[in-house]
Amino acid sequence: MKIGSIIILLLMNMIFLSGCWSNRELPDLALVSALGIDKAENGQYVGTIQVINPGNVAGGEGTQATGSESTPITTYTASGGNLTEVNRHVSSQVSRRPYYAHTNLLVIGEKLAREEGIAKIFDALERDPEFRTTTKAVIATNNTKAEDIISTLTTIDKIPSNKVIKTLESTEQILGQHMNVDTRDVLSKMATPDQAPIITCFSMEGDENQGKSLENIQATVPEARLQASGIAVLKDGKMIDTITEDVSKGTMWVLNKIKATAVSIDWKGETDAIVYQVTRQKTDVTADMKNTNKPKISVEVSAEGRIGEAAVPVDLSNPLLLVEFEEALGEKIKENIMSSIHKAQELKADYLGFGGAVHRADPNAWESIKGEWEDSYFPEVEVDVTVDAFVRRTGLRNEPLLSNMEN
Amino acid sequence: MENAKINAMQLFVLIFLFELGSALLIPLGTEAKQDAWLAILAGVAGGVFLFYIYLRLYKYYPDILPTEYMQMLLGKIFGKILACIYIVYFLYISARVLRDFGEMLVTFAYEETPLFIVNALLLLTIVYTVHKGIEVIARTGQLLFVVLYFLAVAGFILVIVSGLIEIKNLKPVLENGVMPVVKTFFKETWYIPFGEVVVFIMIFPYINRPKKLKKAGIAAIVLSGINLVITMAINIAVLGVDLTSRSQFPLLNTIQAIQVAEFLERLDVFFMIALIVGGFIKITIYFYAAVTGVSNLFHVKETSKLAYPLGIVVLILSLSIASSYTEHIQEGLMIVSLYMHLPLQVIIPILLLIVAYFKNKKKERSK
Repeated sequence: MKIGSIIILLLMNMIFLSGCWSNRELPDLALVSALGIDKAENGQYVGTIQVINPGNVAGGEGTQATGSESTPITTYTASGGNLTEVNRHVSSQVSRRPYYAHTNLLVIGEKLAREEGIAKIFDALERDPEFRTTTKAVIATNNTKAEDIISTLTTIDKIPSNKVIKTLESTEQILGQHMNVDTRDVLSKMATPDQAPIITCFSMEGDENQGKSLENIQATVPEARLQASGIAVLKDGKMIDTITEDVSKGTMWVLNKIKATAVSIDWKGETDAIVYQVTRQKTDVTADMKNTNKPKISVEVSAEGRIGEAAVPVDLSNPLLLVEFEEALGEKIKENIMSSIHKAQELKADYLGFGGAVHRADPNAWESIKGEWEDSYFPEVEVDVTVDAFVRRTGLRNEPLLSNMEN
Repeated sequence: MENAKINAMQLFVLIFLFELGSALLIPLGTEAKQDAWLAILAGVAGGVFLFYIYLRLYKYYPDILPTEYMQMLLGKIFGKILACIYIVYFLYISARVLRDFGEMLVTFAYEETPLFIVNALLLLTIVYTVHKGIEVIARTGQLLFVVLYFLAVAGFILVIVSGLIEIKNLKPVLENGVMPVVKTFFKETWYIPFGEVVVFIMIFPYINRPKKLKKAGIAAIVLSGINLVITMAINIAVLGVDLTSRSQFPLLNTIQAIQVAEFLERLDVFFMIALIVGGFIKITIYFYAAVTGVSNLFHVKETSKLAYPLGIVVLILSLSIASSYTEHIQEGLMIVSLYMHLPLQVIIPILLLIVAYFKNKKKERSK
């Protein structure tokens, strides 16, 4: 009986001690919010981690807490032959164990992306159970190193990685020229010939040293600012070019990623006089494989929106006029899309996903052409774009102010 | 054979949880690429077919365990040898499944905990449950069924709401014809998890109303099959074919991808609970079958007392069957399917049924 009660006592301990195996207390962890990877001249990886200073972000925005005295983040840089080594070397500088489960931003240096490609570094990241595939990825371009993006202090959103992510989210929704990509997207696209991955670029404008000090966030016009600057096109895991402005917007149209954007058309000789605000859209990409050696792609867009600005005297209460607008808008959007298609064909990188459309339309033919799709078929492919733009309403006014002023 | 009874509903729940057990978590049938779900669907049909065979066998001998009727069908010596083979098979598979689940936990959650501790803790609860008998297992199953189903529905809704599903990942259907699907069916999805229902021949004699057995069994196989089809289709739709087949646990990646309204994310615990519930039931059933088999074959009166010593065997076996997870998985794919599942789930039951058919015909005639 005695032995029995001792065993029961020991077993009861299991309930109370069950969380204690290799436990990690919060004060022993360095919460890494962003990870930047560059390539040094000697071929080694240079990793920069952005660690949150918990005391300086607490209290939230707006309250003048202790946050103003020191920075909300600290960054550490180390180098090594592979990512694991970089992580181990960083530990010689950080007083706590780097903890990657909350890393929500991955910044890749342009040099690394162009010269070596991103496949190698992604393996370490997806293999690790701590790191998550919902982490957003960006590429640092315009002579900005990944390290600069990681270590520039930002206003409003105090933690720079949050700033970058929120910027990506809002610009994707409002402007429609950048795309919010997470590592899962990139990973799944890198593995198939159906579609090439694209990653949004970020760059730092201004003085990199200024960006690292608190003064940067004490000014109304920060000396160093982070901003999205186009989309990087990858081929075989390597970055080959960036697309911006109309080309990247056209790409977003084809990829069905436009949520809201503005399209402006010329009217009565005035440039960009009528602005159309898209509220929703739908794009279908299909392939016609009647002639197996010459696939035909058709892109069908239908968009719906309202008039946002009218800088010429026009009678917006006239429905027939709106139909004319619709035609002109369709042409304009089609122009955007065509420019992005031409660019993609010129780059021989199928980030528009036409390969996937061919794959779905005729799997057998795809099997024989997928090896040389990007290099020989895609640049020659015939694309038919049809755009239906609908103007549903005109905002709070009918006729613009200008038309009354002229009388 | 212990003196206990379970009802048809409980059997339904047990078969359901048993089938989902590990199949829900692993990249099942990914050899068929985006048609993995079709291979699983074929597996359901195969599973129903096998269930019919087990059911016919049971109908010839509704009151005794297979370990006994094997002796009646094949003679004392061969029957005992075959019964022994089945017992070893059940023990080995329970050790394999235990290893699977221990490795899953160590790989993604308890990196620094030794495998021995994880396995020992899981097995301790299993041994205790088996010690308590089939009625307790069945009631536990009913409880866990509710938990698992709630999580499954919640997870399903969240995946849809977060807009992750891209149907085009599932296209083109039957890209390389029917052959890859058929191949995957014969190599994998027929046996795992559907053929594994063979272990339930050790449990059929406990059912209180045998007439309902057929309905409960087929309903459980079809329903769990549909669940697996949906899960695998969602995995591929969310992750794409390549990521699904490269992933050790695709469901985990799918769940990790969920991000709804800034706060419904990092739901790894969904996966954890599914893993623990499924693993627990699956190992328990296999282990229970082995324990009753041993007690029946060697005429041990108190079945429950065998649970502890056999538990130690399973624990040690689970640690020693492979030196690495890769080796373990390779063994499962190359050796276990072909040389264990195929003969023991399909060939021998069919042969037994043929023998039983002729023996009983003779008996009827002599009457």
